Amino acid sequence: MERLGRWLSGGALALVILFLLLPILVVIPVSFTEAPVFRFPPEGFSLQWYEKIGRVDGLLGAIGLSARLALLATVISLLLGTLCAIALVRGVVPGAAAVSAFMLSPLMLPGLVLGIAMLQALREVGLRDAWWSLLLAHVVITLPFVMRTVLASLSLFDFGMVDAARTLGCSYPVALWRVLVPNILPGFVSGALFAFIASFDNYPVSMFLVDVRTKTLPIQLLNYLEISPDPTLAAVSTCLIALTVAILLLCDRLVGLRRLAPV
Amino acid sequence: MNDQHLAVRGASKRFGTASVLDDLSLAVARGEFVSLLGPSGCGKTTLLRCIAGLLRLDAGSIAVAGRDISALPAHRRNVGVVFQNYALFPHLTVAQNIGFGLRAQGVPAAAAAPRIAEALALVRMAEFADRPVTALSGGQQQRVAVARALVVRPTLLLLDEPFSALDRKLRETMQVELKHLLREVGITAIFVTHDQEEALVVSDRIAVMNAGRIEQLADPATLYQRPASLYVLDFVGQSMRLGGTVSAAGLGEVTVETRLGTVRAPGAFAPGSRVVVAVRPEAVTLTETPPGGRNTLAARVSEVSFLGSRTQLHLDLPAGEDRGVVELPRLPPGIGPGSAVPLAFPIADTMVFPAA
Amino acid sequence: MKRDPLGLLALPGVGYLALVFLAPLLLLLWSSVRGPEGWTLDGYVRLLGDPYYRGVIAASLQLALITTGGALLLGYPAAFALARARGGWQVVLFALIFLPLTVSIIVKSFGWGIVLRRDGILNWALLNLGLIERPVRMIFTEGALYAGMINVFLPFMVLPIFAVVRMLDPRLPDAAATLGASPWFSFRRVTLPLSLPGVVAGVSLVFSLSVAAYVTPSLLMGDRYMTMSMVMAKAFLNLRDWQLGAAMAAVLLAMALAVVVGAAALQRRLGGR
Repeated sequence: MERLGRWLSGGALALVILFLLLPILVVIPVSFTEAPVFRFPPEGFSLQWYEKIGRVDGLLGAIGLSARLALLATVISLLLGTLCAIALVRGVVPGAAAVSAFMLSPLMLPGLVLGIAMLQALREVGLRDAWWSLLLAHVVITLPFVMRTVLASLSLFDFGMVDAARTLGCSYPVALWRVLVPNILPGFVSGALFAFIASFDNYPVSMFLVDVRTKTLPIQLLNYLEISPDPTLAAVSTCLIALTVAILLLCDRLVGLRRLAPV
Repeated sequence: MNDQHLAVRGASKRFGTASVLDDLSLAVARGEFVSLLGPSGCGKTTLLRCIAGLLRLDAGSIAVAGRDISALPAHRRNVGVVFQNYALFPHLTVAQNIGFGLRAQGVPAAAAAPRIAEALALVRMAEFADRPVTALSGGQQQRVAVARALVVRPTLLLLDEPFSALDRKLRETMQVELKHLLREVGITAIFVTHDQEEALVVSDRIAVMNAGRIEQLADPATLYQRPASLYVLDFVGQSMRLGGTVSAAGLGEVTVETRLGTVRAPGAFAPGSRVVVAVRPEAVTLTETPPGGRNTLAARVSEVSFLGSRTQLHLDLPAGEDRGVVELPRLPPGIGPGSAVPLAFPIADTMVFPAA
Repeated sequence: MKRDPLGLLALPGVGYLALVFLAPLLLLLWSSVRGPEGWTLDGYVRLLGDPYYRGVIAASLQLALITTGGALLLGYPAAFALARARGGWQVVLFALIFLPLTVSIIVKSFGWGIVLRRDGILNWALLNLGLIERPVRMIFTEGALYAGMINVFLPFMVLPIFAVVRMLDPRLPDAAATLGASPWFSFRRVTLPLSLPGVVAGVSLVFSLSVAAYVTPSLLMGDRYMTMSMVMAKAFLNLRDWQLGAAMAAVLLAMALAVVVGAAALQRRLGGR
């Protein structure tokens, strides 16, 4: 019975992992096919679809736009989020628990509702510029990711260590720099990386805020999929997967993956 | 032994390439308290888990009351266990924790209730019946763990470091209290501990374990006064020990040349053997011209520790196999670090072991 | 009261979210009850009075329930196996479950399409194994939608359960066994109740995410399976019926909020025992 349980749960885990990876891994061989369709198994080997990324109208532009957007949103979130986390952990904030729940609440909300609400409000105040609308909204998306990790690493930090450093001859700013910063840096960096991914991959909020000339990568990809599906999509997807894997490896080196679990 | 309640024969257990139990045998009489004493990694907890059925032996057998239980899974063995840190079920109340085993064994609620009440009364926890176990102090948690293990009327009780989670003062009280309670119930119990003082307090016999084997199984007094090996000597209590070479032997006595002088001890070793002579600290007195039948040595004091009822002198010896601790009921005037002292101790109390 | 200078550092972040996040939400809710002629429940009446929209709500709930149930069935035992895995293995297995969470949902849905196509990998495998004689139509079926949804949301079930299960004291089942509990009894009375907080967290997360799902159903089913999110997007982008869309958003918001608040209350009760 006990062994049966072990077999069943081990089997379930194997199944879960296979199932989860299947749609991701299948994209990679398709991106190297010679045929202009997604047929499996892929035929031949070519890099033509990777070359085509540059020739497809608007794809490179969308990649650039999404990257700039994600980068800027992440930087703004880091600034706002770190200040807020310091206030919550070290300062006296009335209703601190409610405030931190509020700061994390955009995570709980259906993205589509947020997108619609933003669209309506921006119309109301007369902001019609897609780039600024996207940036305002993406900071809302990225801020909770930064808050969560920075808040967690700050509350785990033992501020007695700063005192210890001061008794060992460091001035207060030097003590913060030598002791506090190295301890919370991993949380800081991983929060930033996750915020970046969240913004870069966002679809449901962006779809209401883009215009014809300003399209983020996920929007452009979905459009392309609807208009002329060919393995170029697989090539872009493979690049995105590689980027994600690289970021995850980086995070693992910094903090260990298990501490990153978003839930 | 006729009244053999627990019999472990030829027990062996390996984890990968490491041998944790090595052809170990142990017999425990009905109603006896035996401690498994040893440093971490000696195999004592593994032996306990094998007896409980939480681990399978690679070879050998375990019998309780004449019945071989080696092949039974843990839940069919009826062997009670008090776990280290107690392993109480955090989602259940005190009474539900104690009733867990009865419920698991299908005892109807009506029959279980008086037994739970009885167990609660036994450990003096009746007024805590409906408290969550997470709200209890360490000592109270231990009582619940004991009651939970006893209420199913196990044939044998195993206790894994039962006092390690308690602070020193409480530990001493609980040791006596638990020993008394288990004696009252009349159960056979096996304690696992790495604390030699605890083993001396709670057990009828102590099995000193080393590298998966039992080094010596004896009552506390024998263990202390007649350790079977250097390992047991060092693990149980303190001692003054000196390395040396046998210079003469005969008539059940050897003469050993040590760094501090000549020592005679009961024993049989060939002249020229490398040995270690040892004496318990309280057997040593500071006397220059003692009556006959004593060894005398001269040493220098390096440190003095006042322990209340007695005072310890640490002797100035080079590091290595020599170690010198002497205990006096009262410190004579004028003795401090650096003093030269004459030591005397009975030849009969002097032990001699082959050098490691 | 003396103002704490450090506490003031929270202001920019809180102010930003209040302005750019909370205010638009309140405006959205307000516009769902505000018509050209003042207060109105017209949006809600049209939404809840129309059998088509009621059907959409029911379909969304059904989809969320099936997704949650499927994810729980697969994810619960998997989380235990993950918690039992040792050292290095655990990190690798964890990463494999975590990775899909960070891969774009567009990429995953696109990949899922390749898997299910008539000339896709699943049909290819089944044909080669001799299980089927000609390719089976899988894409654009409800089964494919359920599988795709579970695929997207499964990590949100596994990870919270894993987080609880790996903290469970492994000696508790041992203690139960020494008290005479069979493995099944011990699972029912010890392991299951202690893992419930993780299950509640996973279920509420997967349910509130999947009831609002947009990308996966629209990519895998198109207009054949309308969910609340799809109707909402349509109302705003195509129909320009803002009142209807706002009412739908309010209903969706209420559902997601109810699940989150309900789960939090349940967690507190489970934790308080």
